[in-house]
Amino acid sequence: MLWAVIACVIATLLAWPWRDFLDPANTAMLYLLAVAVVAARAGKGAAIAAALLGTALLDFFFIQPRFTFTVGDVQYAVTLAVMFAVALIIGNLTQGLQREKEAALERERQSGALYQLASQLAGALTLAQIDEMTRRFLHETQSCHSLLLMRHGEEVSPVISGQTPLSGKPYYAVKTSLQQGAAQATLDGALHWLILPLHDMPQARGVLALSFYDVGLLGNERRPLFKAIAALVATSVERLYFVEIAQQAQLQMTDECLRSSILSALSHDIRTPLTVLYGMADTLAQSALPPALHEMADAMRQQTFRLNSMASNLLDMAKLRAGDIRLKLEWQPVEEVIGASIKLLGPALAQHPVSVVLPADMPLLRFDAVLMERVLCNLLENAAKYAAPGSSIRIEVRTDQKFAHLSVCNDGSQFPIDRLEGLFELFERGDIESNVPGVGLGLAICRSIVSAHGGSIYADNNEGACVTFTLTLGEPPVIEPEDEYE
Amino acid sequence: MNEQTILLIEDEAQIRRLVRTAMEEEGYRVRESGTLKEGLAQLHADAVHLLILDLGLPDGDGIAFLRELRTQFSLPVLVLSARSAEGEKIRALDAGADDYLTKPYYTGELLARVRAQLRRAPQESATAENRFHFGDIEVNLAQRSVTRKGIAVRLTPIEFRLLCAMLVEPGKVLTYRHLLSAVWGKAFVESNHYLRIYVSHLRQKLEDDPAQPRFFVTETGVGYRLDI
Repeated sequence: MLWAVIACVIATLLAWPWRDFLDPANTAMLYLLAVAVVAARAGKGAAIAAALLGTALLDFFFIQPRFTFTVGDVQYAVTLAVMFAVALIIGNLTQGLQREKEAALERERQSGALYQLASQLAGALTLAQIDEMTRRFLHETQSCHSLLLMRHGEEVSPVISGQTPLSGKPYYAVKTSLQQGAAQATLDGALHWLILPLHDMPQARGVLALSFYDVGLLGNERRPLFKAIAALVATSVERLYFVEIAQQAQLQMTDECLRSSILSALSHDIRTPLTVLYGMADTLAQSALPPALHEMADAMRQQTFRLNSMASNLLDMAKLRAGDIRLKLEWQPVEEVIGASIKLLGPALAQHPVSVVLPADMPLLRFDAVLMERVLCNLLENAAKYAAPGSSIRIEVRTDQKFAHLSVCNDGSQFPIDRLEGLFELFERGDIESNVPGVGLGLAICRSIVSAHGGSIYADNNEGACVTFTLTLGEPPVIEPEDEYE
Repeated sequence: MNEQTILLIEDEAQIRRLVRTAMEEEGYRVRESGTLKEGLAQLHADAVHLLILDLGLPDGDGIAFLRELRTQFSLPVLVLSARSAEGEKIRALDAGADDYLTKPYYTGELLARVRAQLRRAPQESATAENRFHFGDIEVNLAQRSVTRKGIAVRLTPIEFRLLCAMLVEPGKVLTYRHLLSAVWGKAFVESNHYLRIYVSHLRQKLEDDPAQPRFFVTETGVGYRLDI
């Protein structure tokens, strides 16, 4: 207002000495200048005031008759009206400019602040640090309180333990926000709450909860800023999450490496003395000894062999249990692995001839050859262990629509009927106090391997004691036919 | 009997004694060494016909040793190791081993493998003649003919190539990769199922019991060995 008065008085004083030479229309220009200056300086209100005052002064001092507010000539009424209108328009325009300038400044300030927050968050190493930085930032720039809450399954809790968890209305707002993936506002007592999910989708990792006493902060112009802050926090949380996953993977890898090197060292250390023992017993058994001693040497050899297969089974089980089994699945004829298993067992099967029955059109199956060899060896060894001396062992393969059924059966022995299921449990054996050696690992290993292949394994007494396992049939890769003979 | 010399590099004294006893009973001369360095010196000093090598020795890794050995010597190498992982076997074979036996082993099996390896050297003359004889099977490379019990067996070109690739190195464990690249070419080194199917064809045509093969022996997860 002061600006308006001063500008008008100056305009009047400037124009007064020239009152007799200048046409009042030109004097009006001087007042317009004054109004423009006031509008630029002091905004719309002052400009209107200056326009009113200027019009009055022009009329009073320069329009005949002077020193009255009467307008003698009608044409000066037009001058006065135009001047008033122009003054108003200028005032409006300048004020718009002013407001935009202020908004731009505010925006610049906000993005500067956001940039600062972003660079701080980039260095955050824990969720608690993110929470702390966001809280400090919002407190300083927006005078509101913030709380970072993370979702754990269905529950939501603050990242800093010891902070009081939310309850009542804000708590339900947090739940709704997580469910819907949208911001929620609520009022709890005198506190206004604004809940922002860390991602605009359901089941976000967490929320940023803002609380303040001033309802004005809830206004729409602040929303983009708050959303931007939530997005920054979300990015940092995500980064921490992936860093953690990467670290875990690394840790797991080192862990696996360590475990596997321990297992192979162990296996090496067990095998070396066993090799010596076995070799000595073997040498003794083959030398010329009195029958009783010869029998003993032979028994020693057999027991050592069993000790070795037990040790292998234990180590295998440790490997299978330790981590996920990585299968090397390949399409192959099943008779190959059957033959290899029979050969591998060698002398252990000497007393039991093995017959193999395969359908003529046996398709290729997809499995890990090394592990399948393990399964077949265990089943064969088992069959031989419980079979009557001299009896034969049968390997039979059948196919139906979906599966190949591989059975290993012996003649003359029976599984205890009430324990058919339990046979495949760890450390389970057919007869609790049987004199046949073994710790019941073999079948448990078979089950682990077969289920890793997506098959099932079961025992029955239909035609001798049989263990049957299934492998899924599939479509083997096409082999280019070759029909030209030499 | 011509006395053939076997060098045994193995750090476990008891195992050395066992192997020595078994080998000497068969009439072989045996040299022993507990370290790679000493073993290498013996190889240079004496005419050795076969090396039996343990992989975990106090003065170095057996596989690196094998690679170095192959730059100077071509004698057959049988690895006798407690390492039973297939990857380990393949590494040893790729480094130049001819056969691989895991501990504990059957003495009979070790002797059979040793015999098979030692038989390979004089086979050079047979290769020159292009004629092979095993079991009741006769192969004439020059005529590209195969007979079993005197009856001609018809093989496809690929089957014949595969048979040749195996006949060249009888007793040696041939990895999938080696056989695939020898018979089908480098582009097929990952197509293990091709090899498996053609080996099964050969077994069908040449073995008495294809499910329990006598000649075309499977080394599960590693490759095949022609046991003749």
